[in-house]
Amino acid sequence: MSTRVRRIVVVGNGIAGLTAADSLRGNGFDGELTIVGDEPYAAYSRPALSKALLLDGGDMSSHELPSAEHGANELLGVRASGLDVERRVVSLDDGTVLPYDRLVIASGSRARRLSDLPEEFTLRGLDDAWALRDRLAARPSVAVVGGGPLGMEIASGCLASGCRVTLVSQGAPLIAQLGPYLAGVFAEAALNRGLTVVETDGARLERRGEDVRVVLADNTVVEAELVVSAVGDVPNTEWLAETGLVERGVLHTDSRGRVRPDIAAIGDLAAFTTPYGRRRIPLWSSAIEQAKVAAAVLLRGDEAPPLDFQPYFWTEQFGLTLKAVGRLPVAGEPTYIEGGPGGPSLMRWSHDDGSGSAVALNHRIPIPRLRRVSRAAV
Amino acid sequence: MKIVLDRPRCEGHGLCEEAAPQLMHLDDDGELVIDREEVGDTEAPLANAAVRVCPVAALRIA
Repeated sequence: MSTRVRRIVVVGNGIAGLTAADSLRGNGFDGELTIVGDEPYAAYSRPALSKALLLDGGDMSSHELPSAEHGANELLGVRASGLDVERRVVSLDDGTVLPYDRLVIASGSRARRLSDLPEEFTLRGLDDAWALRDRLAARPSVAVVGGGPLGMEIASGCLASGCRVTLVSQGAPLIAQLGPYLAGVFAEAALNRGLTVVETDGARLERRGEDVRVVLADNTVVEAELVVSAVGDVPNTEWLAETGLVERGVLHTDSRGRVRPDIAAIGDLAAFTTPYGRRRIPLWSSAIEQAKVAAAVLLRGDEAPPLDFQPYFWTEQFGLTLKAVGRLPVAGEPTYIEGGPGGPSLMRWSHDDGSGSAVALNHRIPIPRLRRVSRAAV
Repeated sequence: MKIVLDRPRCEGHGLCEEAAPQLMHLDDDGELVIDREEVGDTEAPLANAAVRVCPVAALRIA
């Protein structure tokens, strides 16, 4: 390891930043490590917020992670506000300046909003989850805007809390993310549990008296006591605006997560090379794999191996648990490796390039096996 | 150090097995089996990686 690396700053205390800090220590870095988090909480599991945490009766701990072992100086509840790449200094919004020899940018992303109305709920951070839980206790009628995995998980959680729920979706829910076959499976489960789905070409929110309502593309209106939007995320890159590193809102990294020799960008704000082109993959295991590669490369340079990432995606909603590796969405019908339609099953889709996608539905299966199934027709 | 499993939390993702196949695996029913609970310094990074990758925090080091 280079003896010149004495100070490393990690901006972001989500799973990407946490894993980077852990991995820096794991790679032998024993210098001064500082981690900056804009939420006043220890790192937690974000996927849990829209899954178990919305459903938990009394158990409010499903998002908690084992405590950090990296021994970093943790600056929480404070936000990075600027970066000077020449002087190698990060500035924070409380006036703190942090010099570094190496920097990890993991400031994540935030919920995209449809309005500036304070009544518009989103679910991205822990405070959002607590606020949503509190509101659901009174069993309001709910409109969820957004038919992606997050919107559907929120709708499922709201239904399970005893609410009447309308899901507003651009096109059929999940079809863009999973493809028509799997979207159909989830739609059936959702309808059976009482979800109302409204498809539209677009939606906006407007205030009418004390209430917020959803106005669809054809000007019809969906009324609800609670409106939650789940319409994507926006990378938190504004603090980097003057660095010249940001391209169209994201950071483009090399094959080892670097944006400069001394700076890595990881997690939801990083676009990296995948078998499907250079893109963001804002998923749990993506953040972790990027973080491990970045930590190694910042300390060891090109001798550290490049990122070789295969997506792993899972969702839990309407009584279904889906686990998938390989490219999504998938077109056409699957081959059933185990089970069959309507029950626990293991499915595979073949792609034209010889690769495959493997999907387990309500079926506990080790990921290594899921990966083997995706790679080779069985 | 010892790897401790909180079985009710485990959802059988198996990301831990992928991180540390020498230490644990999911059996045919998708239940996690810790093959080596007591780990030494050599395997500590593996064990830590397995703990960290679990999205439901079903593993911890004691």
